[in-house]
Amino acid sequence: MIAIETKQLKKSYGSVPIVKGIDLFVEKGEIFGFLGRNGAGKSTFINMLTGIIQPSFGTYSLLGVKGPNDQVKKRVGVMPDYSTLYGSLTAIEHLKYLSALSGQPAGMEWCLEVLKLVGLESHARKKVAKFSFGMKKKLGIALAIIHDPELLFLDEPTSGLDAESAIQIHTLIRGLQKRGKTIFMTSHNLAEVEKLCTRIAIMKEGRIVNSGTMDELRALYRSTIKVKIKHSPVPNSEQLNLHQWLESAGTDLEMNDPYVTITVKDEKKIAEIIRAIQQCRADVLRVEVEEPSLEDIFLDE
Amino acid sequence: MYVIGKREFMSLFKGVKSCIVIAILLLTSYYSAKFANILATGIELSAKEAENIHTVGLLGLLFLLGQLFIAGLSHDTINQETHERTMRFLVTRTSRTSILLGKFFGIWMFWFICLTVSFLLISIFAQKFDLFIFSQTISLVTLQISFTILLSVLIPKPGFTMFLGIVFGLTFPILGFWVVLTSNVWVSWTKFFTPFYYLDREDFTFLVIFILSGIMLFFANFIFKRREC
Repeated sequence: MIAIETKQLKKSYGSVPIVKGIDLFVEKGEIFGFLGRNGAGKSTFINMLTGIIQPSFGTYSLLGVKGPNDQVKKRVGVMPDYSTLYGSLTAIEHLKYLSALSGQPAGMEWCLEVLKLVGLESHARKKVAKFSFGMKKKLGIALAIIHDPELLFLDEPTSGLDAESAIQIHTLIRGLQKRGKTIFMTSHNLAEVEKLCTRIAIMKEGRIVNSGTMDELRALYRSTIKVKIKHSPVPNSEQLNLHQWLESAGTDLEMNDPYVTITVKDEKKIAEIIRAIQQCRADVLRVEVEEPSLEDIFLDE
Repeated sequence: MYVIGKREFMSLFKGVKSCIVIAILLLTSYYSAKFANILATGIELSAKEAENIHTVGLLGLLFLLGQLFIAGLSHDTINQETHERTMRFLVTRTSRTSILLGKFFGIWMFWFICLTVSFLLISIFAQKFDLFIFSQTISLVTLQISFTILLSVLIPKPGFTMFLGIVFGLTFPILGFWVVLTSNVWVSWTKFFTPFYYLDREDFTFLVIFILSGIMLFFANFIFKRREC
């Protein structure tokens, strides 16, 4: 089932286009990462889907319901990019007020449980005016999940959080996915997106320039694979044969005993190389594949 | 709508501003009702006016300063949340119409209770509860609340709605009474758009004020639905 679907979604302010026609779908149960530089249009895109702003053109549906629809909001949780909270309310009061607004008033036990999930259990009754930036961020996530939504929009969920809190939020996001929730998140932390997300879209100047799984993005980015193999000594009688075979298998061949470095076009070649070394009566001790990181792909766009 | 209305209603009872307004309302009602008979002997009144003399203090206060009080307490009911972006938590959970009507009913209920208590206080001295004048007063307050909400939707900056609240609060009663009483044909037609024309009459035309309030709320909702939060 498709959780999010957009068709030619556009947003312009006056004559300035911000989002220039986005076609996108996110399957239910995915953690979808949305990447882009500052001003690429990520938050504008999320704001259109969550009802904060109206699209200038195009259509979208959330959980199979054509938007904008006020009923589907009860099944969606949103952590907006930049929002202040009510300084005079405590964390618990926030959770109670906004869960009731979502039509599912949360009891004290559930509120405390959610605060524990984001690491705020010891600040449940503290006024939000006294919260630090990171604590407000965590409360923002707690508010997004308090009504147990099926679909979650998290705009920069870990920015401004310390490393320990970020790991806690990662665990929470994975836990939510295991429970069948769909998560649509943006982040500036490429390592985080690479680690967490099942699919990724890269946005640039209001358009999606690339999307897919990490493997698909890597395949798009790089057509060759650099492999470094450590092996036990190859008998002298086999060395020439192995060298000749490796030269035919790939390019940029370097043989510095006990390492072989070679660039191949296909993953299958790696298996063939391993077999060839073994046939030369040597053991393969270690195989390192140099892959492009999301950072490489992102910076290349 | 109920959740937002309840929060708006409860938050109005908190804070110094609300306490001052409630105190002014109750003290004016109490003392004007208590000394109404002295006032009645001092000026010439018709039989009908003499009958309603106990409410004159409260009505005078609301006619002259009602808009000011309501704007003082609620001028930023919408734009403060938009300005600070707490509105994002609301619009991502419920409809904008529910938010607007919730805010309206929360404020309306606050004034309804304040006025009911004030009229009950007056009824101690007047020995009666005048439902007709009470309904007229509620209609006036309804219009003033709707206007305050409309301003809060139209003007994004809370500081500016405070300023406009003071300006309109002071000028509306003066302009309102002038257009009702003037014989100038170029401006007298505008009396149909002021509550004072309908409140001056002894019939049920004050119900038109509720229609005017509805039009203002409809317009406010129309704009609010198109606003970025």
